[in-house]
Amino acid sequence: MSTIAHDHPAGLGDPHAHDDHAHHPTGITRWLTTTNHKDIGTMYLWFSFTMFLVGGTMAMVIRAELFQPGLQIVDPEFFNSMTTLHGLIMVFGAIMPAAVGFANWQIPLMIGAPDMAFARMNNWSFWLLPPAAMLLVISLFVPGGAASGGWTLYPPLTIQTGMGMDLTIFAIHILGASSIMGSINIITTILNLRAPGMTLMRMPLFCWTWLITAYLLIAVMPVLAGAVTMLLTDRHFGTTFFNAAGGGDPVLFQHVFWFFGHPEVYIIILPAFGIVSQIIPAFSRKPLFGYASMVYATAGIAILSFIVWAHHMFTTGMPTAGLLFFMYATMLIAVPTGVKVFNWLATMWRGSMTFEAPMLFAIGFLFLFTLGGFTGLILSVMPVDVQMQDTYYVVAHFHYVMVAGSLFAFFGGAYYWIPKWSGTMYNETLAKVHFWSSLISFNVAFFPMHFLGLAGMPRRIPDYAQQFADWNMVSSIGAFWFGASQLLFLYSMIQCARGKGEKAPARPWDGADTLEWTVPSPAPYHTFETPPQVK
Amino acid sequence: MSAPVLPPQNPASRLRASNRRTALVLAAIAATFFVGVIGSKFLGGQMMGLSVLGIAVLLYLVAAIGRNLSDKG
Repeated sequence: MSTIAHDHPAGLGDPHAHDDHAHHPTGITRWLTTTNHKDIGTMYLWFSFTMFLVGGTMAMVIRAELFQPGLQIVDPEFFNSMTTLHGLIMVFGAIMPAAVGFANWQIPLMIGAPDMAFARMNNWSFWLLPPAAMLLVISLFVPGGAASGGWTLYPPLTIQTGMGMDLTIFAIHILGASSIMGSINIITTILNLRAPGMTLMRMPLFCWTWLITAYLLIAVMPVLAGAVTMLLTDRHFGTTFFNAAGGGDPVLFQHVFWFFGHPEVYIIILPAFGIVSQIIPAFSRKPLFGYASMVYATAGIAILSFIVWAHHMFTTGMPTAGLLFFMYATMLIAVPTGVKVFNWLATMWRGSMTFEAPMLFAIGFLFLFTLGGFTGLILSVMPVDVQMQDTYYVVAHFHYVMVAGSLFAFFGGAYYWIPKWSGTMYNETLAKVHFWSSLISFNVAFFPMHFLGLAGMPRRIPDYAQQFADWNMVSSIGAFWFGASQLLFLYSMIQCARGKGEKAPARPWDGADTLEWTVPSPAPYHTFETPPQVK
Repeated sequence: MSAPVLPPQNPASRLRASNRRTALVLAAIAATFFVGVIGSKFLGGQMMGLSVLGIAVLLYLVAAIGRNLSDKG
């Protein structure tokens, strides 16, 4: 059977798209009521970028205050709110919705499905997000201000703070519900809606990484919901889950939170692994090296992620046996991760490579994520972590893996797929400037944080001792530069959405061989209504 | 507008039923984690774990035997 592609292109923001069977609404009603995976993917991506800019503005406030020692710009309570909301917004409002946006656009196209399994629930999953984000932002303006105990929300502090914390708890409940529904949709779509001949072991690796990520989400988002529910009842309903005076234990929250929190970081990175696994073979013009081992390594990472949570708690007074177990288990995760890194390198080995923007971001990801992984391995050594816990060394580590890791992969994916989504090629020169500017400024911002952490600078402080001044100034300059660089990306994407650029062919990348490149660019509003026969 | 009712042998309705089953199983896993994490604080970890396993086994038996009986009947 051949693929049927409608000749009425949709593309990003195209208000005039319609198909032969049923006319869908235009204007605002289209976006409010759409059940089309492409429309919903577009909304997720624009939402995530908006939240990235909001969270990024908070980061600019933080770095502005830390530019020099002393308290110059904001008061300490507000600074703490900035660090808390920056973390919450970036994790739950920027990175996770971006990953879901990629999933919504790409998974049905890559497996030959007409849409997601539960198209209406897909719409609901997205539209829960803007109210949740508003709750987080509005919490800045309520009496007592926003939550200010860090994105990890540790009690007893979070039991005592004002109503900003309640708004944060509700926001997390809503975000969790959205993620759980999205994951159910993705798993059902991948398991049940694959085209004939598209076996699981022939699926693009992006679909595999998202399948595994979705299982992680199903397991751990309810755990976070449970943790914040217990926080809510401790705050208002007289329970004492985390109150030692009532027979509870504050460290219990840390166990429950990090049981969610560690798989969460793999939820953040696995879709990025999937995107990079699509880009590198395409631009090396070679098949992905070791497809099966990549699948097993991803599954191994996901399973191991459940048994390492207490490496975030090495300083809480665990018994030695516990410390050792979590240290060894954490080191073990480096093995499947290393398998993936070596496989990406082997894919490039003797490949016929070109270095367009997607490939630049993928290679930047490879190098910088590996650096972040190394610092993670260093932190996994318990006696080292006891010194580094809650210092800037940890901040450097997670920004390397989450920003230079996930975010760079998402930028690469956006440049890779925007021709398919919009029908327009991005400006290659501007994209390369975006890449180099982001790469250099990111390292200027975050590499010095390793030195600051090693020198003993704690996290989450609005003022610091004089000996940390020079590197903080360097870091702040890098951060402002990194923030400004993202405006180049915004400009590129808007130009593509408006159709201002070279028209994209169906397959702009000659090394790309997955199903989405068999449909026209921009992808028609409905695709694969008759499933393709995959040989 | 509600979806049209299709005969049970129709491939589309079989697919829809399969999707619903998958979604129910996944939602049950999510619900188990949520109830489990809070319930274990009241019942204790071991009791909660055993209860979850026991209920899962029971549900599996009910579903399997039920399907077997309805296939024969």
